[in-house]
Amino acid sequence: MHHSIELAEVYVRLGNVSVLQGVNIEAKPYEFISIVGANGAGKTTLLKVVNGTLRPHQGKVLVLGRDLSQFRDLNFLRRDIGVVPQTSSSSRVPIRVEEAVLMGRYGKIGLMKKPKKPDWDKAYQSMEAVGIDRFAKKLVYELSGGEQQKVALARALAQEPSILLLDEPTTHLDSSSHSEIMETIHAIHHQRGLTTLLVSHDSQLVEHLSDRIYSLKNGKSHLMR
Amino acid sequence: MSWIQALNYPFMQKALVAICFAGVAFPMIGVFIISLNLIPLRFAMMHIALLGGAIGLFLKIDPMPLGLLFCIMASIALGPVSEKMKLGLGTISGYFMTLTLAFAFILIYKADIHVLQAFSILWGNILSLTSLDLMVVGTLSLTILIVIFLFFKEIQAILYDREIALAVGLPEKAFFYLIIFMLGLTIAVSMRMIGALLIDAFVLLPAMAAVLIGRSLRQIFLFSSVFGLLSGVIGLYLSFLFDIPTSSMIILVASLIIAVCMILRRR
Repeated sequence: MHHSIELAEVYVRLGNVSVLQGVNIEAKPYEFISIVGANGAGKTTLLKVVNGTLRPHQGKVLVLGRDLSQFRDLNFLRRDIGVVPQTSSSSRVPIRVEEAVLMGRYGKIGLMKKPKKPDWDKAYQSMEAVGIDRFAKKLVYELSGGEQQKVALARALAQEPSILLLDEPTTHLDSSSHSEIMETIHAIHHQRGLTTLLVSHDSQLVEHLSDRIYSLKNGKSHLMR
Repeated sequence: MSWIQALNYPFMQKALVAICFAGVAFPMIGVFIISLNLIPLRFAMMHIALLGGAIGLFLKIDPMPLGLLFCIMASIALGPVSEKMKLGLGTISGYFMTLTLAFAFILIYKADIHVLQAFSILWGNILSLTSLDLMVVGTLSLTILIVIFLFFKEIQAILYDREIALAVGLPEKAFFYLIIFMLGLTIAVSMRMIGALLIDAFVLLPAMAAVLIGRSLRQIFLFSSVFGLLSGVIGLYLSFLFDIPTSSMIILVASLIIAVCMILRRR
């Protein structure tokens, strides 16, 4: 079976700064892989490389068995990758939570087509899985940072992805909720048969949940466990 | 002369029809401007149009078509150029705004053009619209409405967060460029109608009012159209009644609507 994610000797430069300098990471199907590193180590950049929003200037990136360098348009692939960004949207556009989660379906619904009942059902199932269904009618910008992060997780799940990319998913949560959300993520990972790539600065947080852990330091990856 | 009698004149009929079309559709472009923070882009396009006008005057031809052409060309080019240069749209807009203004002033100086004449492109006249102008306004307005109706969910995702739109697999860039293109066309057509300096009467002010009280994107689009239509028609009527320039009156009415929305929001 193809590896779900494979990065081989990946180099990324942003302006004059070399952010990734020969990163090698692989995640087999259904694995839970964590990447730990300090702030500024290039963790977010690495996730952007995996979902194709950032092209490396050197190295090979295979996602679901496809070499990303062979495709100009990667939208078809992104529909199979759920992304939970570190920062919540700063938008002041009034969008209800249920609408923000439903957006996870938009890529799969297709252009000019309206969301149908099964799409709404999937959005509500995702909100229930993350525990935000009681906020469904609230506006996203009225929620706390932690709640908005859960909205992002629910949106990624509504996408029904094969791969889930999580960028510091506990950033906006109080410390008592850290392990709770991590357990939720881990349970969803198993229930839905996902391949999960999580980046965090906190190695203790991911220690017992991960199949493998990489560290990212000075732009280079090292297999820790 | 009464209002009804005035409406017997073709120029008043054309003005009213154009205001109805533009009043309904153009404020929706204002919603894009506010949500995506495209204010610098709007300024850049106005100044690029001024350069087109200055070239027209330099060549001793009608400055308006060249101004509009430059505006449309900018709406096609600015998005991809900012992408290629890896500079934000605001930055690249600032660059082109100052550069085109500098060229316009050089042309105006060298050709010994009267400054007021050069700036004539910044003032339009809604009472001098031709049948062709009316067709252009109508076609553009219908196009804006159809695009928003057909691609509402894609537009909703992009206005909410472009990165999210991209992450869920939407052709975010194509839609963003389409929005910029529609913005350029709207500015070009508005310049012909009411002049570059008063574009906000139709484009931005009704959208600002709608954003103040709208509780969903659908409501914002709907309110912006209603406010655009109201300020346009009432503004035209009051300008006739008090013998005041139409675009200025439309702005006063739109500003009053904003003030009312501010009060409603605070309650």
